[in-house]
Amino acid sequence: MGFLDNSGDIILDAVLTDTGRMRMAKGDNSFKIVKYAFGDDEINYELYNKSHASGSAYYDLEILQTPVLEAITNNTSVLKHKLMSIPRTNLLYLPVMVPNEISGDDTKRNLGTNQGYDKWVVAVDSDTRNIPTGDPSPTNPGIIVQDNPGGVINGIDSVPVGAAIRIDQGLNTNEIAPTFSLSRDLVETQYIVEIDNRLGSIVSAGSTNGLVMQGTAGSSAAVSFIDDDNIASYFFSLNTDPQFVTNISTKTGLNESPVKGPRGTALQFKIRSSIELQTSTFLFEKLGRTNSRDGVTWTNTNGDLAYNYIDSIVRITGATTGYRLDIPLRFAKLA
Amino acid sequence: MATTFKTFSNNDIVSTRTLLHEAIPITGSIISGTYGKWPNEDNIKNYSHGMFQSVYDYPYLSSSSNHLFDITCGYSGQSVLSSSTNVQNSKKINLYNQMAQVLMGHSTSGTIKEFEIPGSKSPPTGDGDGTFTHNKMRECYFFNFSRLLVKDEIKKGSFSMTFMTGAAVEAPQNTHDGGTTAKRVFSDAGAQNNYFTNSPAGEYAILTASSAAPETAGGVNYTQDRVGGARTNYAGVGLVFYQAGVAVISSSLFWEHPEQRHHDYLTLAAANKIMIASYPPKSTFTFRDMFTGSVISGTTDGLRNRIADISFNNTTELNSTIYFCRAHHNEFNYSSNPTYLDGSKIRVKDSSLDQPVSYITTVGLYSADNELLAIAKLSEPLKKAPDNELTIRVRLDY
Repeated sequence: MGFLDNSGDIILDAVLTDTGRMRMAKGDNSFKIVKYAFGDDEINYELYNKSHASGSAYYDLEILQTPVLEAITNNTSVLKHKLMSIPRTNLLYLPVMVPNEISGDDTKRNLGTNQGYDKWVVAVDSDTRNIPTGDPSPTNPGIIVQDNPGGVINGIDSVPVGAAIRIDQGLNTNEIAPTFSLSRDLVETQYIVEIDNRLGSIVSAGSTNGLVMQGTAGSSAAVSFIDDDNIASYFFSLNTDPQFVTNISTKTGLNESPVKGPRGTALQFKIRSSIELQTSTFLFEKLGRTNSRDGVTWTNTNGDLAYNYIDSIVRITGATTGYRLDIPLRFAKLA
Repeated sequence: MATTFKTFSNNDIVSTRTLLHEAIPITGSIISGTYGKWPNEDNIKNYSHGMFQSVYDYPYLSSSSNHLFDITCGYSGQSVLSSSTNVQNSKKINLYNQMAQVLMGHSTSGTIKEFEIPGSKSPPTGDGDGTFTHNKMRECYFFNFSRLLVKDEIKKGSFSMTFMTGAAVEAPQNTHDGGTTAKRVFSDAGAQNNYFTNSPAGEYAILTASSAAPETAGGVNYTQDRVGGARTNYAGVGLVFYQAGVAVISSSLFWEHPEQRHHDYLTLAAANKIMIASYPPKSTFTFRDMFTGSVISGTTDGLRNRIADISFNNTTELNSTIYFCRAHHNEFNYSSNPTYLDGSKIRVKDSSLDQPVSYITTVGLYSADNELLAIAKLSEPLKKAPDNELTIRVRLDY
């Protein structure tokens, strides 16, 4: 992935992505380009210098000199940040998405001293979940209790225990009070969640920590499509998926959302580990580490317990605003 | 409503078709002599089956080498050369039949058609040097060009082969003028307006001797034939199949052929004859000797040594779809780039009265499911603000 030659005329380097080629090869008319978006992945807007001594013509001098990388074909690696169309030009603030880890213990990531520091940990099988009690009853999930509040997601069944992932959307500024309403055109109404389908899938989290969602925990979400890299995409809409997306504009308390200003919607879900992770160590050997004792605090009467893990991410993109957030995950399995 | 995608309208998409041509010059020094001493060059690959020989542009054991073309030869079972006592007789017949059924097809009775120069006076009645009863090309060399060179097809009217002349067949070896006084050029000149379509392998045309000056060297006009005992204006020496990327050379081009009719060899000085090189060198070695008494690879070695040049233009058919990605004045002025915001405040604005600005580096083309199907990168960032509009033209070639 070299830089494009920017010494002369502006050129455009266009390629089909791997997914595009796959769709074309299928010959089922699934290769159909119907829309487009613009991106600015290489741009660092921190270089916009509004105090440049030579005047406003020089504010973006460094930005315009940014070298641009060649196109690469992996569809999930490019166009991470899209440009937005908002007819109004008088906006000074734009909404962001922030993981909500303050509304309760169940949505915190693992910040303790255990196996998944700074990540959400998915316990992929019951042996892992039941450490250290060894109690086969799913109502007594060992590590989830032990690590509580530990950001450990029950990745096995529908028992409503363990952590969930919650994302709040809104204006994250102290300049505007959360009691103000977020403009309707800035409210995120649809989320796209992408996860490696070999590792896990998205299930509902139910109502937790003051977030009232319809339905119960553990309901599987419908996959929209799986691309050539096994990345599954899920679409969640405020109108059609009330078990995953809800309006939080009325949650204006300081401890109810990390979004400091007006709030829009929240997305909440859990991860269900794949059958392959539950029953085999093959993917741990291929994509992660096995028999690790990195930062081990999972113990039982025999002492520290080695475990296998795979680090991954779940990617959340706002379909309206294009804002994107990568949530770090660790799939853990008792060795 | 904030949006990040914009849907194409019918006016934003257009399909085009473009033909691209590349010049493909293959010098004779690549074909023999450069990568070792003829006939054992490192860029010539022979196979244990002995059916054909491959020519590369570099020693073929190197991963840097590219396949240029294959050469083989064969004759019809109807050829006067055909004899069970010949070396590799059945293989030569099989190869001829294989190429003939692919390139010429079958008759209504299911038999394989022989190669034939179309449009010849039919049937020739003899020229006094031998008796002809057909227009067939029954003894042929086949040049099967790599798809790497031909791409979609050879451009009509661009194909030419140049052979060295000379009686001193033992001399050239790793040189390419061979001490000759002239070279003979055969081409499909004018074929862009005069070609044939009755082959199952696509379009083809006749290779004829050029009327340019060198071909008349030695007092012989190669553009004329001796059919019927009198020279005519017809002198087809082979066929070139454009889509198949195959040149079929009638071996009657070479001295001394039993059905020699394309050239007035009887009056040619030895120095002006196209001869097949033999190894070890034999000054009296004739085409007949080569085709009957030598293996296929030896026969093709002899021809390689006499090639001065091959050149043609290839053709790539580019089918393109052009997408006009338009950013109107009130579109794409904000960014979801994390650095665009400081907290939630837009970094490029001090007040709400300031104009938003963004910088485009990438264009993504999506399916209805938001799958990224194609990506285009600009060589430098383009500024987008409410006071300008942009149309970026993205062309996808298939």
